[in-house]
Order: sequence, then structure tokens, then C-alpha cells
Amino acid sequence: MSEPSAAPRAVDRARADRSAVAVFTGPATIWYFVFTIGPMIAIFVISLLSWSGLLATPRWAGLDNFTRVLGDRVFHAAVRNTAVQVAVVLPLMLPASFMLGYYLTLKPRFHRVLRVVLFTPALISLSAMGTVFYAIFQPQGMVNSALTSLGLDGLTKPWLASPDTALAAVIFVSLWSGIGFTAVLFSARLAAVSPEIYEAAELDGCGHWARMWRIAYPLTKDYFGVLTMLQFLWNVFASAGLILLLTKGGPGNSSTTLSFLVYEKAFVQSQVGYSQAVGVLLFLIGVAGLLIIRRVFRQNF
Amino acid sequence: MTIAPTRPAKARRRALPKRDRGARGLSLLPAHILAWVYAALLAVPLYYLAVSAFKENLEIFSSPFALPGSYTPENFLTAWERADLGTALLNSVLVTGVSALLTLALAIPAAYGLARARGGLGTLVERFFALGFLIPGFAALIPTVLLAIALGMFQTRAFLILFMPATALPLSVILLTQFMRTVPRELEESASLDGASRWSVMRYIYLPIARPGIATITILNMLNFWNEYLFTLILGGPDPSVRTVQVALPTLISQTNTQYGVLAAGTLLMLVPVYVAYVVLSRQMENALLQGALKS
Repeated sequence: MSEPSAAPRAVDRARADRSAVAVFTGPATIWYFVFTIGPMIAIFVISLLSWSGLLATPRWAGLDNFTRVLGDRVFHAAVRNTAVQVAVVLPLMLPASFMLGYYLTLKPRFHRVLRVVLFTPALISLSAMGTVFYAIFQPQGMVNSALTSLGLDGLTKPWLASPDTALAAVIFVSLWSGIGFTAVLFSARLAAVSPEIYEAAELDGCGHWARMWRIAYPLTKDYFGVLTMLQFLWNVFASAGLILLLTKGGPGNSSTTLSFLVYEKAFVQSQVGYSQAVGVLLFLIGVAGLLIIRRVFRQNF
Repeated sequence: MTIAPTRPAKARRRALPKRDRGARGLSLLPAHILAWVYAALLAVPLYYLAVSAFKENLEIFSSPFALPGSYTPENFLTAWERADLGTALLNSVLVTGVSALLTLALAIPAAYGLARARGGLGTLVERFFALGFLIPGFAALIPTVLLAIALGMFQTRAFLILFMPATALPLSVILLTQFMRTVPRELEESASLDGASRWSVMRYIYLPIARPGIATITILNMLNFWNEYLFTLILGGPDPSVRTVQVALPTLISQTNTQYGVLAAGTLLMLVPVYVAYVVLSRQMENALLQGALKS
């Protein structure tokens, strides 16, 4: 911009650039706004309406929905179930996947076969997984048949229809499908850790346990955080489909989680405003959870 | 637990093939056992699924792990007919294919626009898309239903096709932008001096460079669209002429008298397309899923 004539041209070009950005990114941005951001904002608006059924006329309700939600026993049960789900799944899944991922990077015998097996749940759809485990957990399904043939008849249960085990069954399926794929993700990240670092540790007499948790973990802590967030989001928001297929939130409310409650209230009980009030609270819980996870796994060196 | 180094590291590295380093010794025995126990846990339900597809209820209940007495296609035919899987497959192919194409049609120009943007507007739009990683797709199910009703497109395939790309845009746009950023600016400038329009610059310079990225997001998006359950159930609806395979399959479960052999056969039929794709494209598919998860 040292020449006097260059300045206006640069301004022109900047303007042309801006309009090009607008033209090329416009359609995608509009699409994204209409189908993702708009509905997100709508959750907050609908939560303030009294709306019985998707085809009924809504009217203003202020914070009534929130008062009702917060005083509702079903909501309390859903909070408890979601908390159990997160508190069981995350501490089991992430360390297990991390160690399994580390194990894969050692390239043990048959690691290729193992990797393919671990990867398979990532290909199976929720509805296929739901139907398979629905069959497996039936009173006469695979689990009970196996227990009977082992002579453990006393342990057989209607797993999905018993209040003590319904949520546990859902959690089991999350762990079953999640550990393998998360392990493959970890191994991709851990493979990028320089072998020289491990070799130095080996010379110092560090075993695998120490190498895993005192070297690999601090180096990949941020990534550990990213995968924790991913699993947190999946369990808090996306497990509704799995619950719908396996237990429908029952028996009673023993496996109703927050995301399933959002679904159930809107589509089964036609309380749209209530449902979206839960949705708002769920969203806030989600954001808070993400912030906490980010803080815990912040890289501190 | 430790493997005592007997030789200096350099000599040892030459002695052992690189891949085996560290994978030797008894210290890993618990790890071997745990890893393969988990692998068995993954495999057993799939084995149960495969053998059940050839059995009657009675046989499934009495000897769940035995190989089937005979391999007849009866359960498969029943499942195909009862859940109207032929129509469902066509619907799934239509929704998945068109949604994936629409995603590309939206994401490629957007990525080009963002890759060549220098100003603040580009950064702003890119941030806006990156925000999408934090928005869980499920959250806005009910408002999306209301949108479909307002557009008069509730429980149609057309709405699914319009809706699906939006869920895939954040990742698709950001991934493609990263590829397109590698195009040197001079190349574009000399091309436009030669009179090339913006569209042909995009078509002949940017598109070829982004091709690996396009392959990745197409595989990832198609897998996600094909497997999507809750949104297709609610937005597409249960009507047999509209529903996708994911919605059709659970209809084989009956409250009173489920035929588990038929259910297993239906599930297998539905997994076949995905596994065939995996066998053909295993490397690309793994990379796509890895990148998909890494970018978020």
C-alpha cells in the first residue's frame, strides 16, 4: 500500500472478497441456520409456552413449565438416572479405552484382527444395536440361556423389565459399543507419541503402566478431554434412541434419562412446553459438563 | 513388571523389528487377556445374531449358541416381507444418497469461500460452523418437528433429505476448508488474470485438491445418514412407504410374540450393506471415522 493508487484497489478487492465469501458460503450458512441454529433457539422460546400437543395452539406460560419440571418426581428420577449413567460410563470407558488404545500401539500379535473387531460397533446403527440387545436381554434371551447352562439359574432375570437392572442394561450397551471405537481413536493419537520418549523411559526402568500413565497420558491429556466430551455428549443426549428401543424408560421411570424425558413428554404425553423446559435444563447441564471436562483435562505444562 | 534393557537402546532397536518393540514379555499378559475378553464380548452378540437368523424361537431359547440345524432362508424371507424391507431399502438409499449429494453441493462452495477469504467475515462464518461441534444433534428434535409441520413436510422423505445435510455441514465445511487452504494464492490469482471465473477456479483448482477430503466426508456422512434412527423415526414417520430400514427393523419386535429368528434375520440383512461397504473401503472408512471424531 505504499503507492497511492494501490490503496483504493485494495479496498475494492477486499469488498469483492467479502461479497465472494457471502455468495459462496451463503447457502450453507442459511441451511445451517434454518435447520440447526433456529431450532436450537426455538427450544428456549417453546419452554416458555403452555403447549399441549404438537397441533394445539400454544399460549404464553412464563416460567410455569420450569416450576412444574423442578417440582416433578419424574424429573428428579431422570436427573438421578442421567447422573448414574454419566458417573458409571465415563470413569469406566475412558481409562479402559485409553489402556486398550495404548495396547494397540504396541502392535501385539493379531493386533490387526483385534482392531477390526474393536471397530465393528462403530458401523452398527442404533436400531440394529437396540434390536440385538433387546433379544439378548429377554427373559429367554442369550444372557439367561447362558446363565442357565452354567448352572446359575438363580441369577436369571428379566433384565429389561426389572427396575434394578433396566438402566444397568442400557449402560452396558453404551460401554459395549463405546470402548472399542474410543480405543481405536486413542491408538491413533498415541501412535503420534515419539518412540524415543518411551525408549528413554524404558532405560529408566519404567514399565508399561508407568509409561502409559506418566508419559502417554500427560502428553495426550487434551485429547483425553476431547474424547471425554464426545462420550459425555453421546450419553447425555443421544442415548434416548437406545432407551426407546430397549426399555422405553421403564419399568416405572427406572431407566428414564433426561434426553428420553424430552422425547417422552413431547411425543407420548403431548406436553411440548414441559418437554422443552427439560430440553433447556439439559442444554445447560450439557454446557456445564463440557466446561468442567475442559477444565479438568486442561493441558498444564 | 519392567523389561530390563540388556543392551543399549540403539543396538536393541536394530535387533528387534520395530513393530514388536515393547510387545514382548509376561508383563503384558493381563493386557492380552483383558483385550481379548473384551473382543469376545463384542463378538458373541454378533455370533448369536448370525446363528439365530436360521433358527425358530424354540431352538434359540433351548440352544442359543449351537450352530443352526439347517440353513434355510425362511426367516430372511419373512423379515423381508413383514417389515417391507424392499421399500425401506429404497427409501434409505434415496435419503442417504440425495442427502450426501446435497451436503457436498452446499459444503464445497462454502469451503471454497472460506478458504480464500481474508477478512473478518470469513473467520466469523467459520467460527459459526465450528460452534456446531458443540451442539448435540439430538437437542433440537422437537423444534425440528415443528419446522417440518410448518413447512407442510412432516413425515416426508423430502424433509429428511433437506434436514440431514444441516447436521453434517459443520464437519464437512471445516474439513474441506482445511484442504482448500493448501492451494497457493498465486495459483488462483494467475488463473483469474487469465480470465477464469470464480466458479471455474473452484472447479479446476480447488476441487481436485480437496478430493481426499470430499471422499472422507462423503463416506462419513453416508454412514451417519444411513444409520440415523431417532430423527428418521420421528421426522420420517412409521408409514411403510416412507420409512427407512432403521425405522422398519424395530417393527419386527412385537409386544406379545416376537419371532427372534426373523428379527435376527432382518437385522443381518440391514447390516449387510454397511459391512460390504466396509470390506470394500475399510481403510478409507476407518480414516473417515477417525477424522470425524478427531476434528470435533
